[in-house]
Amino acid sequence: MQRRAFGEAPRILRQTTMGVIHLKKGYDLRLAGRPGPDLEELPRPPRVAAVAERLGFVKPRLAAKVGERVSIGSLLFTDKRRPELQFRSPGGGTVCAVNFGPRRRLQEVVIELDPEERHEPFERIAAAELESIDRKRLIECIIAGGLWALIRELPFRDAARPGTVPPVLYVGLDNLEPFHPLPEVYLAGRRSLMEFGLRVLARIAGAPPVVTACRADAADAGTVNGLASHTVRGNYPAHDPGVLLYRTKTTPEQNHAWFIAGQDVLLIAELLQTGRYPIERVVSLGGPAAANPRHLRTRIGAPLAALAGGRALGGGIRWVTGGVLTGAAASRESFLGLFEKSLVLLPEGREPGSFLGWMLPGAAAPSYSRTFLSALRRPAERAMDCSRHGGLRACIQCNFCPQVCPVDILPQLTYKAILAGEVEEALAHGLLDCVECGLCSLVCPSKIELLQTLSEARARFYEEMG
Amino acid sequence: MNPIRRLFDSQRRHFSRGGRFETLYFVYENIESVFFAPADVTTTSPQVRDRLDVKRFMFLVIVALLPHYAFGIFNVGYQSHRASGLPPDFWPVVGVGLKAVVPMVIVTYAVGYFWEALFATVRKHEISEGLFVSCALFPLTLPPTQPLWQVALGISFGIVIGKEIFGGTGRNFLNPALTGRAFLYFAYPAQTSGDTVWTLLAAGRTAPVDAFTGATPLAIAQAAETGTVPQAWADAGYSLAELFFGLYPDSIGASCTLLCITGALFLMVVGVADFRIILGGILGFCATATFLNLLAGPGSAPYLFLNPAHHLLVGGAAFGIAYMATDPVSAPGMPGARWVYGFMIAALTVLMRVFNPAFPEGIGLAILFMNCFAPLLDEIQVRIRLKKRVPNVR
Repeated sequence: MQRRAFGEAPRILRQTTMGVIHLKKGYDLRLAGRPGPDLEELPRPPRVAAVAERLGFVKPRLAAKVGERVSIGSLLFTDKRRPELQFRSPGGGTVCAVNFGPRRRLQEVVIELDPEERHEPFERIAAAELESIDRKRLIECIIAGGLWALIRELPFRDAARPGTVPPVLYVGLDNLEPFHPLPEVYLAGRRSLMEFGLRVLARIAGAPPVVTACRADAADAGTVNGLASHTVRGNYPAHDPGVLLYRTKTTPEQNHAWFIAGQDVLLIAELLQTGRYPIERVVSLGGPAAANPRHLRTRIGAPLAALAGGRALGGGIRWVTGGVLTGAAASRESFLGLFEKSLVLLPEGREPGSFLGWMLPGAAAPSYSRTFLSALRRPAERAMDCSRHGGLRACIQCNFCPQVCPVDILPQLTYKAILAGEVEEALAHGLLDCVECGLCSLVCPSKIELLQTLSEARARFYEEMG
Repeated sequence: MNPIRRLFDSQRRHFSRGGRFETLYFVYENIESVFFAPADVTTTSPQVRDRLDVKRFMFLVIVALLPHYAFGIFNVGYQSHRASGLPPDFWPVVGVGLKAVVPMVIVTYAVGYFWEALFATVRKHEISEGLFVSCALFPLTLPPTQPLWQVALGISFGIVIGKEIFGGTGRNFLNPALTGRAFLYFAYPAQTSGDTVWTLLAAGRTAPVDAFTGATPLAIAQAAETGTVPQAWADAGYSLAELFFGLYPDSIGASCTLLCITGALFLMVVGVADFRIILGGILGFCATATFLNLLAGPGSAPYLFLNPAHHLLVGGAAFGIAYMATDPVSAPGMPGARWVYGFMIAALTVLMRVFNPAFPEGIGLAILFMNCFAPLLDEIQVRIRLKKRVPNVR
């Protein structure tokens, strides 16, 4: 009941003046290849896929077979753990392949598109109905429409538990991780849909959602203005709901806040408004190895190769979906997942470093530290590759990771506690506050996989809790 | 293609799995990575990594130490010529210095590298660059007359007991270079203390010329019974400028306060040395020495009246604060603890210098002593910090 009372209003944010929150820590990567605001319409791909990889805790259970006829919105797979998480078809046509990865884990269900795609019908909710509709029924509509997985719950970032009421629901319009679509691009012409979506979320959360934007002073912020209730300023990952929660929470009850990405609100709104499973996506394509980085309008499940087109510069390129810090390297035969709004092309950097490279002054070396000449004049754009730039060493207490950690964890001590099996100590250090932003691993001169250690420990803890 | 690159490419197969020298892989890897950064790429998120690695981090300390070597080589020869009654001509002076210092550096690196490579090979981990810093620091703290076998023994003790038995660089709680230095101090006092060891005699002499006092400024300060310490230094022929530039008999490279200041500034600017430790140290010298000044009454030893700046001018104080105390591994990790750590090192140094006639210089032992307390200081600050967190689990 206490949580319900808390849910009445996003009270935890009222203490901040003018709805502006500053994050002093964090780090701005300034990766080269930032996508411009122009939007290119991509042609309809010949096939799309429902991706079952890169979905976090989801354990997919296949619900379709090869040769089956499906429409947009047909059920393709569900989550073994939680049957309410349904994953539906982003295209209408014939299932032409079901691909499995190692240990027969479902990778993707590929659909050869029909020239004319059919739509599965879903329940429509009129705007006027919203105020009176039962919250439970609204949630059931979203579950039935296969979009409940988009609403996620802190601290583990699994899908929200529909049986509970969140202390607060965050909507993040921006994502500062290189590179994600700009809100003014994906919101262009869809503002009323967004407003409808926010009203839906208000019903679900029992209170108006906290809508955050990071660049409210941007020149093109006209589309965003008025939507955001709070501005979060600062370096990456200032946009992250976990960071916002950490900066504002006062009691442990608030930890189970829900969140959703701005563009995903549009999907839910479209589902409820039109009664059709939404498939449109605005994706940003960028990175040092991408020619002409820009926004692309495509559809969920589009082949990554169709997104990159001929834009990959040269060979030896890594395709990263979902951002360079938290995202995953994807095969170029893969497809755009349900959550993914970003494709970054990075040079692999597999060739050994230059001769005595560690002695060079490094006028253009991308580094958080001040150990290169580049510290004097920080370059506006940093060309980075996937090289680890050094060998694995023991921690030398350089203290870079606690300096960048946006939620004041001491990663250098927390990871030692984890490796020593001291779960309680790791929790006391704030393991569950970790937003898995990846900055600790990024800046580590000993090249220790801090992010991996911390997030695996978090996942273990979550799965053991049941 | 670079011929060195070609050499590595052609020889790699002997050291990789199944090769003739498979066991020496980590030695090979270490040598190759000196010339070329490894071609490894990331396998997990984040996909990109910072350009800085431990090699460069440590290399910058060595860069800061190189001027000390240049100075040390000069000063060893210069003091030797003075003591031997020879004219202080530049090139002969440098020649004497090189002859004394270079063998010590070679022995230090050879022996230190041997131990590190042995442990790395047996334990199957990479050779950490912390070794090169320890080996660069160690000879600078020794008297120029130290026999080479003692140098070898000292660095062996420092690397093996001070570091490797705890798991290697990053897991040691004592500063390895200082551990080796302290070992020599206690094991071979005849060769590491007294007035005679700090000057190398040349031209077949067995005793310095009469006009030359071999006593270090620290020993003079401790021995002074009347008057003031600066007066005693002046009587012994050391002007304050000479003390600042380090032109007096002392360990090879630790005496030049000017270079310690520039080196410390450099390391603080590049972020390798934590300014908290250095400023905490300076603060500690000021506070403790000033406290002793106030405490001292008529009849107190002149050392109690010595002002903090003069404390920093002589002996290894500045060198210890700039390079030894700032070793990030053996220092505490938490920012607040680092202030306390620096302060306490300086305070203990001053107390040891002034009150303990057995130790003319206290900085080395003070650092080792505070190394032992670093985990406690960390623990205190971590606990305070964790108390402020809103817990996640009830």
